[in-house]
Amino acid sequence: MDFDFTDDQNSLRDAVRRYVDKDYGFEQRRAIVKAGGFSRDAWNALAGLGLTALAVPEAHGGLGFGPVEAMVVMEELGRGLVMEPYAQGGLVAPAVLAQAGGDVQGEWLPRIAGGEALVVLAHQERQARYRLDVCDTLATDTHRLTGMKSVVPAGDAADAFIVPARAGAADAGIGLYLVAKDAAGVALRGYALHDGSRAAELTLQDTPATLLVGADRGLAVLEHAVDIAIAAQAAEAVGAMDRFVALTAEYLNTRKQFGVPIASFQALRHRMADIKMQLELARSMSYYATLRLGDAAETRRRAVSQAKVQLGQSMRFVGQQCTQLHGGIGVTDEYVGSHYFKRLTVMEMQYGDSLHHLGEVSARMQDTAGVFA
Amino acid sequence: MDLNFTPEEQAFRADIRQWVAEHLPQDISHKVHHALRLNKDDLQRWARILGKQGWHGWAWPKQFGGPGWNAVQRHLFEEECALAGAPRVVPFGPVMVAPVIMAFGSREQQERHLPGIMSGDVWWSQGYSEPGSGSDLASVKTRAEKRGDKYIVNGQKTWTTLGQYGDWIFCLVRTDTSVKPQAGISFLLVDMKSPGVTVRPIIMLDGEHEVNEVFFDNVEVPAENLVGEENKGWTYAKYLLAHERTNIADVNRAKRELERLKRIAKAEGVFHDARFRDQIALLEVDIVALEMMVLRVLSAESSGKQSLDVAGLLKIRGSEIQQRYTELMMLAAGPFSTPFIHEAMEAGWQGDQVGAAHCAPLASHYFNYRKTTIYGGSNEVQRNIVAQTVLG
Repeated sequence: MDFDFTDDQNSLRDAVRRYVDKDYGFEQRRAIVKAGGFSRDAWNALAGLGLTALAVPEAHGGLGFGPVEAMVVMEELGRGLVMEPYAQGGLVAPAVLAQAGGDVQGEWLPRIAGGEALVVLAHQERQARYRLDVCDTLATDTHRLTGMKSVVPAGDAADAFIVPARAGAADAGIGLYLVAKDAAGVALRGYALHDGSRAAELTLQDTPATLLVGADRGLAVLEHAVDIAIAAQAAEAVGAMDRFVALTAEYLNTRKQFGVPIASFQALRHRMADIKMQLELARSMSYYATLRLGDAAETRRRAVSQAKVQLGQSMRFVGQQCTQLHGGIGVTDEYVGSHYFKRLTVMEMQYGDSLHHLGEVSARMQDTAGVFA
Repeated sequence: MDLNFTPEEQAFRADIRQWVAEHLPQDISHKVHHALRLNKDDLQRWARILGKQGWHGWAWPKQFGGPGWNAVQRHLFEEECALAGAPRVVPFGPVMVAPVIMAFGSREQQERHLPGIMSGDVWWSQGYSEPGSGSDLASVKTRAEKRGDKYIVNGQKTWTTLGQYGDWIFCLVRTDTSVKPQAGISFLLVDMKSPGVTVRPIIMLDGEHEVNEVFFDNVEVPAENLVGEENKGWTYAKYLLAHERTNIADVNRAKRELERLKRIAKAEGVFHDARFRDQIALLEVDIVALEMMVLRVLSAESSGKQSLDVAGLLKIRGSEIQQRYTELMMLAAGPFSTPFIHEAMEAGWQGDQVGAAHCAPLASHYFNYRKTTIYGGSNEVQRNIVAQTVLG
């Protein structure tokens, strides 16, 4: 049992933090939001840091790092409110593609590692809410897909999509397919999310696709992919909350009312103690989710759902209360704090909110309890 | 980073598990697993069994007769004891006063007191709180006046847990009234059989005699019973509080009690009621998160690479969780938790139960556990401490 970071992991953290501090400041970020919410330059910069290669196997030009390195990177990206979909393009896509047949891996993984290809998971459907086994997109025997996917991260900037689809009929299993952006029958409608990042509606009409994972284990691989995304987002949320809490502490010690810093008021101090509690519980569960990612599916899914229940609660509490403690300035667009609040809010509704995952925890409960149950 | 314990630690755990299975009397673990009343004999029998093995002071270094375990080993020992249904070790001797005697006591005090604490033969009580000194502990008024080679002690302590069994009591006493409150306090060891010491019960809201008032009326205490220097008692008291660490979260017991909650919910037919079951699931998440926080502290203590100042958070969260599981157990039994049958909490009671036997102690347990957010520094005081770490 060991929760220390290695020197290499600390160096990785420092490198990402230096980039964020220098090139992804609030004004640079604001410019990216204005330009649509995704910057290819920023993505290339992440690639330049080696981050797009981080989770790609070494055999395909990557670094082959594990979940802890991913967590370190995500914490720093969260701290800087980086909007480019690193979790999806840098962590989830390589994990799914590594499950695919050899040719596809060789074709796509080196390009992902080099930052030339942005591949994202497009799984959200209108009727599914957070259920991964609800999928109305259909695939023919010749791998032509018809259906619609929603809120696809950086959708109209991506080069290809990983698309779950029913193989053949409505009661068939779910396969995972790769769809290139320029394939026939692809239509994209891009838009901004409340946190400033970019997403799109993806419509597929008899679109040719490449089979990545067959219907026999497509859902299992999709679940694993989503768990990777949840663990990554947990770390991102911890980074964002950590920074938002620090900003709030700074504000309380600077802002004066009734002639004294408002940090001297016990009502606000106790609120800050409750905020700190939620932050540290979230950090603890972020570690837990990350360290369980390599476990057998049942253990992994339970741990990740437990983490998302905690993260969902923490993100909402920290977001709302740090905003409250700032008073009027906290609800302005001008102040960076409101952008943390919006990012934390959007993240709760990605990959399952607290209520959804509480249902998962409830369904998977055993007689025993605890970290090693 | 690694979530798992090392093979050596797992082997250590297995050894402890086997030892506890062989040595923990079943009549005692039965009471613990069913929240029945533990008497002095139960507590002292277990203390002596541990003492014989040299484990009643399981956190003690080797030089004082302890096992010299590291933070992880101590945690594993505590966890195995808790899960097996061992009673919580009464902390006042082995966990509270012993480290102070080791750090600040004289060689004579160490030789005189530590063996009896380790063996479980001498029962210690805590003389901290007073009627006028709760959260504001530095305001203690109990006076100790030096007269020759004696201190004459006058005053009153309160909330003295299990003081009715006490042989000795460690007290914060005022030895100087002319300086600021913290600077005039001394740490004194008092034989409770001394003339002038009176223990009176306080009956709590669950009807139990768990705490007491202790009165001191011209009690003569040999000056050699002063620990360390006169007027330095506040420093020693703070050292003692800092020594509790992760133990205060009591997450191991919470895991055991969550298992009991699930059994009760099943028996009472609410485990498959989604609304109730979700409340258990939420508590389970809280317990995993608390356990992870405890493990982070242990890791930080072991490696020394991080400083993790979360003792206040552990106390707040641990106590809230303890209250929550007692609350959910009571709610699971619903109306069958409301009858107050004092004798039904005795093991082997043959009278008529109302509802299932497991219902009898639930409300008492719930009422009793309101203390957890009040004692050991109320949760509001803990929030002050946590806020200090964030805001300065």
